[in-house]
Amino acid sequence: MRRILDDMYKAAAFLLVSFITQFVFAQEDTLSNKTLDEIVVTATRTERKLGNVAVPVQIINRKSIQQTGSLRFQDILQEQTGLVIVNSNLGTSLNGYPSPFGQGVQMLGLDPAYTLLLLDGEPLIGRNAGILKLGRLATGNIQQVEIVKGPSSSLYGSEAMAGVINIITAAPQKEKLELQLHNATNNTWGGTMSYATRFNKKTGVQFFLNRYSSSGYDLDTSLYGKTVDPFRDWNGQLKITHNFSGKLQWVTSLREFDSKQTNNYEIYRQNNPAVVRGFTSEKDKTAFTQLRWQWKPGHKIYFRTFYNRYNNRSFVNLDKTDIKFDETTFNQSIVKPEIQVESNGKGQGHYIGGIGSYFEMIDASRYAGKKTVTTFYAFTQEEWNLLHQKLTVIGGARIDKRSDFAARLSPRIALAYKPNQKWKFTTSAGWGFKAPDFRHLYLNFYNSQIGYSLLGSQELGSELERMQQQGLLQPGADVSPYLITPALKPETSFGSHAGVTFTGANWLVEGELFRNDIRNLIDVFTLPFTRSNNQAIFSYHNIGRVYTQGLSVDIKYKLLPRLFVSGGYQFLDARDKEIMKKVKNGTLYKRDLVTFQTTVVTKSDYFGLFNRSRHTGNFKILYENKKNGFNAYIRLVYRGKFGYGDLNGDNIADDEREMVKGFVLANLALAKSINNHFQIQAGVENIFDYTNIQKIPNIPGRLFFLNINYSMENIFQHSKTK
Amino acid sequence: MKTKNALLSAAVLAVTISMVSCDKEKTDAPVQPITKTKDITVNFSGTTPFTLFSFKDTSVVANTDSTSTKWDFALRLTTFLVNSYSGGPGNAGVIVQDGLYDNITTAPAAGYAYDTTASQRAIKDGSWYDYNPTIHSFVPKAGKVFIFRTGDGSHYAKMELLSADYAPFTGPAPNQIIYKMRFTYQPDGSKNF
Repeated sequence: MRRILDDMYKAAAFLLVSFITQFVFAQEDTLSNKTLDEIVVTATRTERKLGNVAVPVQIINRKSIQQTGSLRFQDILQEQTGLVIVNSNLGTSLNGYPSPFGQGVQMLGLDPAYTLLLLDGEPLIGRNAGILKLGRLATGNIQQVEIVKGPSSSLYGSEAMAGVINIITAAPQKEKLELQLHNATNNTWGGTMSYATRFNKKTGVQFFLNRYSSSGYDLDTSLYGKTVDPFRDWNGQLKITHNFSGKLQWVTSLREFDSKQTNNYEIYRQNNPAVVRGFTSEKDKTAFTQLRWQWKPGHKIYFRTFYNRYNNRSFVNLDKTDIKFDETTFNQSIVKPEIQVESNGKGQGHYIGGIGSYFEMIDASRYAGKKTVTTFYAFTQEEWNLLHQKLTVIGGARIDKRSDFAARLSPRIALAYKPNQKWKFTTSAGWGFKAPDFRHLYLNFYNSQIGYSLLGSQELGSELERMQQQGLLQPGADVSPYLITPALKPETSFGSHAGVTFTGANWLVEGELFRNDIRNLIDVFTLPFTRSNNQAIFSYHNIGRVYTQGLSVDIKYKLLPRLFVSGGYQFLDARDKEIMKKVKNGTLYKRDLVTFQTTVVTKSDYFGLFNRSRHTGNFKILYENKKNGFNAYIRLVYRGKFGYGDLNGDNIADDEREMVKGFVLANLALAKSINNHFQIQAGVENIFDYTNIQKIPNIPGRLFFLNINYSMENIFQHSKTK
Repeated sequence: MKTKNALLSAAVLAVTISMVSCDKEKTDAPVQPITKTKDITVNFSGTTPFTLFSFKDTSVVANTDSTSTKWDFALRLTTFLVNSYSGGPGNAGVIVQDGLYDNITTAPAAGYAYDTTASQRAIKDGSWYDYNPTIHSFVPKAGKVFIFRTGDGSHYAKMELLSADYAPFTGPAPNQIIYKMRFTYQPDGSKNF
């Protein structure tokens, strides 16, 4: 094994040398045409050229994913302007292990729970505390990632408050075999195989398999256990397409994710340290089938059914006695049938509409019994092309009726004006919402180590009555105001944007202003009485009103025929409206951490919501020589200063000691084709070795990696296709 | 355990010292209020004793005095007791006022709250601190001033909490909090600070 590694890294050194020695320029495609002709589906639920879309959309294509060499989906997302990879706001565990909930995407300054994640247009489930672990997604079979910013509930319903990220996997186009071997620091290994083929021009089959494993890492050796424990993930997908005729097309895909991670840490039992060991296993299975019928040109109807089941089981046993110490399970499933129609008029208008439903089931050890909810929905959208195709107007709305709350209507309107080939102006306004999570409604959690309770709003009344009868509440506690709690309302947002795109021969510049107002944010509150052990009882209520606003700019520039430079920047201003009111009235106080003097908080003190950076940006240089198959890709990602936690008694971010300083993650990948089939790729992630043990333990420090890629086309069908 | 013993002896010492100083005060007939900053260590667990505090003594009072009027308020984790009604045998009361400590120069004449029942305390749990789940810290809200009528019912004091830190611990979770507080006690019985 050692020898193989040595050889692999010798190859990496060779790559570096070839990078330095070669710089020959040749004419290649122009930047602008390529970008604007890319097809997106997420913005309108139907195929559109990016250049004609009226809402802000970013695309990450397969090539640029491959050029980064990364096998981690969050690495790919965090290099996009305005997307920040963050921890759950429920934070890290006490001893500095990373958040058990994983990491998610912050978009337009909203928490990960408010961005809808789709895989081939269908929702991914299994969120824990609002976060869907991005590690569940392999990168090897991604054809394109589409990121739509701004409230998109008019097409997608709940959760699409900040926006939508749709991961589109490869479809079988021609016979192709791809293999990859990946090795990286921390004994990280990845193996990928994908094979696509077509039979008699009608049937296509795409198969994908990936194994990814790592020994984890340990940032703080003074604590027992690793910061991230060893894990291994399997990811597989099978996609079959069949054209019955030009009019009738069928797609089926099956996907499975299976992950196992060691749990090994120290606990305190009767105040004595003890080691516990166990595993967390996650299984995520999806099945999707779609029939597309084009009954006349420009008119299509889709019949779709989607099924997703997610299981998570985690346990630890005491190391010495093998007695079970803790076990949690979480099972969620969804069945989603849907019918969508599409009609494209002759140049003037496009219509899409659909109806569908979700049947959701959740069964978890922290919830009281099995819970089911049903949602029915319908959506409609019309697109008008006016003024000789220069003006596009899109109006749409969706209605969602979930079994446990009132029907919700989410409209959106968007405009795009293209006076000429160079300029495009867009604006949009829309409503978004997020239905209360299962945890907000049904959680019934008692922390046995510390002794507090966290209860969902639907469980609160009955659980308080039970606790009082069993003498688990403080004597004399007045539970009467909480027996009939008002039902939680959906969190809602109203968002708008104005954008401009300029396309030159070698330039592409996009700028965007955005604003979102969010109401009825669900937050934890403390009940005014305690359990009999004197520990607090928490539940959820609708309370918060916040806004996020800002601007983002993206510039792509073709500096030389083979050298592309791009940069992105986002300014974000995210604030709590109640805090703003208190600051205005002079009724919010802060305390100096050294002199302990209390003073009034002024407007300029308030930094904004925790965990939001005012400034984020990225800078990328891509050198690509198609002639000799060499490319080099350097990316710098900046995350500016952000508030972490209150220390000075005003519960807002306003003191330098409450902040995490800004940092840069720098990544480099170099690739060289050896012949038509083999490519060697090597790189470094987090070149400056940035770590923050206490506050961001999920950043592992500098990583080296090496990929060997093999691809071959027309293996068995050589003669037929030629 | 060590900490607890040390704390107890510190408390005993503090009581002795303050007794001596009390004698002194009587002869000097002071008019100036006493302002001090002090750390008090309080327990977490519901089965452990409260920490009792006396403004007059400017120190913690031994738990053996819990049924006396010698203490003004008591604290355990984040639960405040005020020495009156269900809280204790004294005549203490409290007003929690938002504002700057230095700007509060007189104690109000009326409006003092009592521990009416064990679950309806004068100082509501959760009203005067923020718990931060990201860093598991209790931070006393700035600008909360506690104006007390003392356990003997005839003196006034104001107090603000300056910090709350976990006492050093080895287990999975802390078991004591050290509160730093600033207080001003008016020994002459007037409401002027």
